[in-house]
Amino acid sequence: MTDRRALFAGGAAAAAAAATLLTPKEASARPLEDVLRAGELRVGVNPTLPPRALFNERNQIDGFEPEVAAAIAQKLGVRLVLQAVGSPERIPMVASGRIDFVMGAMSRTSERAKVIDYTVPVHSENYGIVAIEGRGHTSIEALNKPEVTLAQVRGTTAIPYIQRAIPNAQVLLLDNYPDRNRAIAQGRAQASFDGIDSVRFALRPFRQVQWEVTAVPAFGVTYSGLGVAKNNHSLRNWLNVALYELHTDGTIERAWEKWFDGPMFTKVPVSPFF
Amino acid sequence: MNYSLIYSQVTGHIPYLLGGAVLTLQLAMISFLAGWAIGLLNASILHFGPRAARLAVQAYVTFFINTPLLVQIFFIFFVLPDAGILLSPYAAVAIGMSLNAGAYLTEIQRAGFQSLRREELDAASAMGFSVPQMVWYVIVPHIAKALYPPLSNQFIIQVMTTSIAAIFAVEELTGRAYNVNSLTFRSLEVFSIVAVIYVALTLVCSVALALIGRWLFRVRARIL
Repeated sequence: MTDRRALFAGGAAAAAAAATLLTPKEASARPLEDVLRAGELRVGVNPTLPPRALFNERNQIDGFEPEVAAAIAQKLGVRLVLQAVGSPERIPMVASGRIDFVMGAMSRTSERAKVIDYTVPVHSENYGIVAIEGRGHTSIEALNKPEVTLAQVRGTTAIPYIQRAIPNAQVLLLDNYPDRNRAIAQGRAQASFDGIDSVRFALRPFRQVQWEVTAVPAFGVTYSGLGVAKNNHSLRNWLNVALYELHTDGTIERAWEKWFDGPMFTKVPVSPFF
Repeated sequence: MNYSLIYSQVTGHIPYLLGGAVLTLQLAMISFLAGWAIGLLNASILHFGPRAARLAVQAYVTFFINTPLLVQIFFIFFVLPDAGILLSPYAAVAIGMSLNAGAYLTEIQRAGFQSLRREELDAASAMGFSVPQMVWYVIVPHIAKALYPPLSNQFIIQVMTTSIAAIFAVEELTGRAYNVNSLTFRSLEVFSIVAVIYVALTLVCSVALALIGRWLFRVRARIL
């Protein structure tokens, strides 16, 4: 066989392997019974979104979401296994059954809900402007100017809104919130329009900067639930019941106050009907 | 897997992704050409320069080869502003990639210089060539043929390396893929399309480089 033929044969084999990996016969999301039988609950959290999840001083995953996940695992009577996930792989990991559900600021949008099922909300997400005090960047109108650069984190829910409502501003898309905050502190950008729930935690390292955080209720509130594989009804239904109990007994609110230095800006309306 | 591939959800974003591919290619070309120039200058210094200049070049190469590119760009992007140097994201990434490529291309071109025969240089010297003349008329034609394949490889590496720019607010191919992914949650579809675009980009570059090599330097590089 010539080298060229070998190359094409190799390519065909790789394509066949890829196709095999994507067939429904491969690993699939585990229903509730399988989780119980295995005795462990696998949960994906994103440790680049502190204090939702972070690596603590012992290099273990900690934070609000691991604490909620631990409470869920305890209710289920199984061991909790936390898996660090990033933005691109989180959905394939749920769909393939590597994790049973994913946390990590899973804001509900109708577009995302085509791909993944959501439980009832775990927490609310509130939006506003983060800027340096005294510069006048305290309203959407003040931001909507070509000389204003907004530092944003890539892939966040606020970006489609910025494209729609603040079209004249320049946008600088960075990888994470510490980089965003540093960009504003250094003058690379003037402000950011984004979630302000974790802002007290995130701005701690920049004590020399006088920050100004302005809530923008006009944007509305979004809600973040647990992301479950499409059609995994048995697990999703049980999680809804568990979340109802964790909301009503105050577990979620207490964990939030512990990690976010204060109560949720908007309390999650708890309903017994799902 | 409980997941249905639905490409129609992301195909509308392909023109946007292709726009990122143009930026990817542009960044790769700029950083490669700047790195090549840095490498040529450094290799000349290593071969002909005074001891102090040689030590400076060696320090530069050692530093840039032994630190990750991500850290180098992070330094340019986030540390220099504290010293009053605020570069745009594109400039910071282009400079970081050029300096990094310059270190590798110094080593590649130094090897080319070492392949020169002493007799050729002695003959040029006897004919009264200055060092720049020697470089241009004797050294470059000799080493171009030997260096063309590794230089071509380095260019392909530069194309791949541009994906790091997404971290620093440059909307190249990978950055745009992240944007589309966060909008649609269709990771498999988005990144498989992006992978195909990268393969197409590198194949086109490989073919173009092979043709240029055959035309300019009579290097018979294999394309496939």
